[in-house]
Amino acid sequence: MGFNFRGLAFKQSMMILAAITVVFGLIFGLMSYKTQAMLNKMTIANGEETSRANVNYIDKLFNAGKLVGDDIAATLGKRKMTKAELDEFLFQSLTNARNLVPQIVAVVLAYEPGMGPETPKGEFMRLARYTENEIKLVTGGHYDDKEWYYSTRDGKTSRWQEPFIGEFVPEPIAVYTVPIFQKDKNGEDVLAGVLAIDMSIEFLKDEIGTIPVSNSGYAVITTTKNKAVAYPRSIAQGKRNRDIVVKEIRGNSAVEFERRDSSGLFIGTVAGGEESAVYYTTIHSTNWTFMVVWPIQKYLKDQSSVRKLFLALSLGGYGIILVIILLISFRVAKPLKDLALAARKLGRGNFDVAIPKIKGRDEVAEFAWAFSNMLTELKDNIEKQKDMKRIERELDLARNIQLSMLPGEERDENSDDDRHELAPFLLPAKEVGGDFYDFFKIDNDHLCVVIGDVSGKGVAAALFMMVARIILRTMTKNLKSVVDAFNKTNYALAKRNRLNMFVTVWAGIIDLRTGHIDFASAGHNPPVVRHRDGSAEFIPSKSGIVMAAMENTIYKQQTYDLKPGDMLFLYTDGVTEATNYNNELFGDNRLLETIRKGGELSSADTCALVKKEIDHFVQDVPQFDDITMLAVKFNGIDEPVWERYEKTIDVSNNGKSGELKSFVEDILTPMDGAKKMQMKDAWERYEKIVDVIPENQEILTAFVEGILAPMEGSMKSQMQINIAIDEIYSNIVKFSGATEVTLIVEIRKATMMARLTFIDNGKPYDPIRQADPDISLPIEEREIGGLGIFIVKKTMDSVSYRRNGDKNELAITKTL
Amino acid sequence: MQITKTNENNVLTIALEGRLDTLTAPQLDAEIQGKLDGVKSLVFDFKKLDYISSAGLRILLMAQKVMNKQGNMVVKNASSAIKEIFEVTGFCDILTIE
Repeated sequence: MGFNFRGLAFKQSMMILAAITVVFGLIFGLMSYKTQAMLNKMTIANGEETSRANVNYIDKLFNAGKLVGDDIAATLGKRKMTKAELDEFLFQSLTNARNLVPQIVAVVLAYEPGMGPETPKGEFMRLARYTENEIKLVTGGHYDDKEWYYSTRDGKTSRWQEPFIGEFVPEPIAVYTVPIFQKDKNGEDVLAGVLAIDMSIEFLKDEIGTIPVSNSGYAVITTTKNKAVAYPRSIAQGKRNRDIVVKEIRGNSAVEFERRDSSGLFIGTVAGGEESAVYYTTIHSTNWTFMVVWPIQKYLKDQSSVRKLFLALSLGGYGIILVIILLISFRVAKPLKDLALAARKLGRGNFDVAIPKIKGRDEVAEFAWAFSNMLTELKDNIEKQKDMKRIERELDLARNIQLSMLPGEERDENSDDDRHELAPFLLPAKEVGGDFYDFFKIDNDHLCVVIGDVSGKGVAAALFMMVARIILRTMTKNLKSVVDAFNKTNYALAKRNRLNMFVTVWAGIIDLRTGHIDFASAGHNPPVVRHRDGSAEFIPSKSGIVMAAMENTIYKQQTYDLKPGDMLFLYTDGVTEATNYNNELFGDNRLLETIRKGGELSSADTCALVKKEIDHFVQDVPQFDDITMLAVKFNGIDEPVWERYEKTIDVSNNGKSGELKSFVEDILTPMDGAKKMQMKDAWERYEKIVDVIPENQEILTAFVEGILAPMEGSMKSQMQINIAIDEIYSNIVKFSGATEVTLIVEIRKATMMARLTFIDNGKPYDPIRQADPDISLPIEEREIGGLGIFIVKKTMDSVSYRRNGDKNELAITKTL
Repeated sequence: MQITKTNENNVLTIALEGRLDTLTAPQLDAEIQGKLDGVKSLVFDFKKLDYISSAGLRILLMAQKVMNKQGNMVVKNASSAIKEIFEVTGFCDILTIE
């Protein structure tokens, strides 16, 4: 795991470091400033200490020289002396002076012209000079234009001259000059001349050399005019005296030092040497300056060593803080990184990823804990989702089973005939719903149509729907009356209805011969009837209470008469309450309009058209409820009127089947081609009546074979029909107690269909209702009873039974 | 219906011709009922049989029950129509059809 330069740890560290840097910088600056100030203070103290004793000593010497000069000048002003007296006086003065101040090397006297002893040139200059351990008296001259003379004469005050190497004293000297005043005749002071005391300053150089100054410092003495008069020999190094100048650095340039205060500290150079810190003090006696000089590098060494120490400490602290920050950052960032890794794995679907365990109660630990929690919840949720999916699948399955139990085509129900045309339509909503329809024939001429809608949705509604539908179907078939079936079904449903579910139903029995409908409604929408002329209306119907609500509800039978060409259109509220984006309902008017628009469309096309209109109306709004419709078009009896011919033949006389043939031919011959075609499309009907004795089975079989043979159907179908005759007839013989059996054979050449109807006058017996034998039992438990009719059911296209008056009617159909 | 019986080494072969239905079944019943003693193997040859009804199935069932106790029984050469009847009625599970 490399270091992430964009990571939280790095960012955090950087920010903290930046803050710390600022703080350290401030502290460092402050410290520098403080140490500078402190150092300056220390330097000044150091300089003062070094200077004070020396300056005092020097002051004392020069003050002594001054006193000596003042004293001699005063003496000279009091009396006039001759040349000899002056020599004596000078000699004595120097001797005395040297006793006091050994640095005094000469006493010089110069008079204004005419004021001293007479000389040929009018000027007089005499000096006593100490050299080589003796005092010599020397005469000088040409002093009038010497600075030491005229400055004192013109200034009329005593003063210290700039040091120079004298004419007579070949060493650097400090010269103190005093004007000599004498009283004239009027008693007024008149300047008579100038007295000069020459003091050697060699001693200063010696002194300076020995002054100990810390940090390689040294001392320098400069005159009023900033000439260095004393300095360590080391800085001279062949430089001429006048080059030894003290300069002060101001800004970037170095200017000649100029004293402003009696003492102070500045940065400057001495004799063009290295930059130095200089502390100066005024030597008051001569107005000279005593300086203590520290070369700056040495001087700064202190400062920089403090700085270095501080810097080192800072860097050390900095490093430690850096390490600590990084540790903390990693402590925070590492688990976050681990969590991120876990999250990434999680994202790829690995729900068993290990969440890093983080101790402590800090935010990161809390986050890890929350993350781990989330994972658990997520897992649970996904499991739940899986369960939900499974349940959904099973619900779908339930829905499919439920829907597959509704009859699809009329053929399946064996309810198709030419007198009507029926089409159901059911589009389930996503959720399992409770819509249903049903249709079945009660007998050959009565078709029952049902539509219903169970309250609510889901499995409960679906189960309830199936139960309601089956009970209603069974009841209607048995009772052959809609209201009776409604009453019974309602009772059965309401009796045990803990969930208080209910179902709306509309059911009607249509007499296919007349178009008459007996119907009842249990809270269901009234159906629409479309007439032949294209008009459409709701069937006026009084609705009873919804089914399963009250046990003892009595429904009212109502009637309606369909005319040939009318279409009965049943629907559930999924049609009229289909909703669009504006929450508008499809509604009754749109439904009527659509059905009118449908005109002469077939039942199936009418349903399709309504669905199309609904789709157009709702646009993309998802379907919420089942959409269920059932349309029946009543054709009426517009088939050709059947002509019926009957002939009873004696078949006991074998080989006379020709009689039957000629009978048929006799009937058909008069028909022209068109009629034959019509006949081919229509059902042909043959009838045979026999007494119920076992042997007549052969007669019936032959009768049927005779009719079917010309159609040239498959041998297998023929054989299966023969078996069916065998089984049905033998049943009648054995069980019915009938005395006469009529067999009606109807064939339709267009569809290669045959229908055999056995009518007997025996006791009521519906073989279809007998339970089917269990054909999976082991041989020892097998019973042969019921197997015959079972074979018939299995091999024929349809088998239907009805009790018609005092007769049993069993009809089978078979495609040849 | 014509019934042809041949008995060789306790193998009884019954060949049927025509229709085995309610009317003809009693003939076959009469040929078999109580006459299977000592028969180890019973073979029905249906090569020339046109069809079989439940009455015929009844006899086959009885015969099979008897033969289960003393040997075996086989139905041979059944037509597809007859095989379908066996199929529909579940007799194919009981009978040995070759």
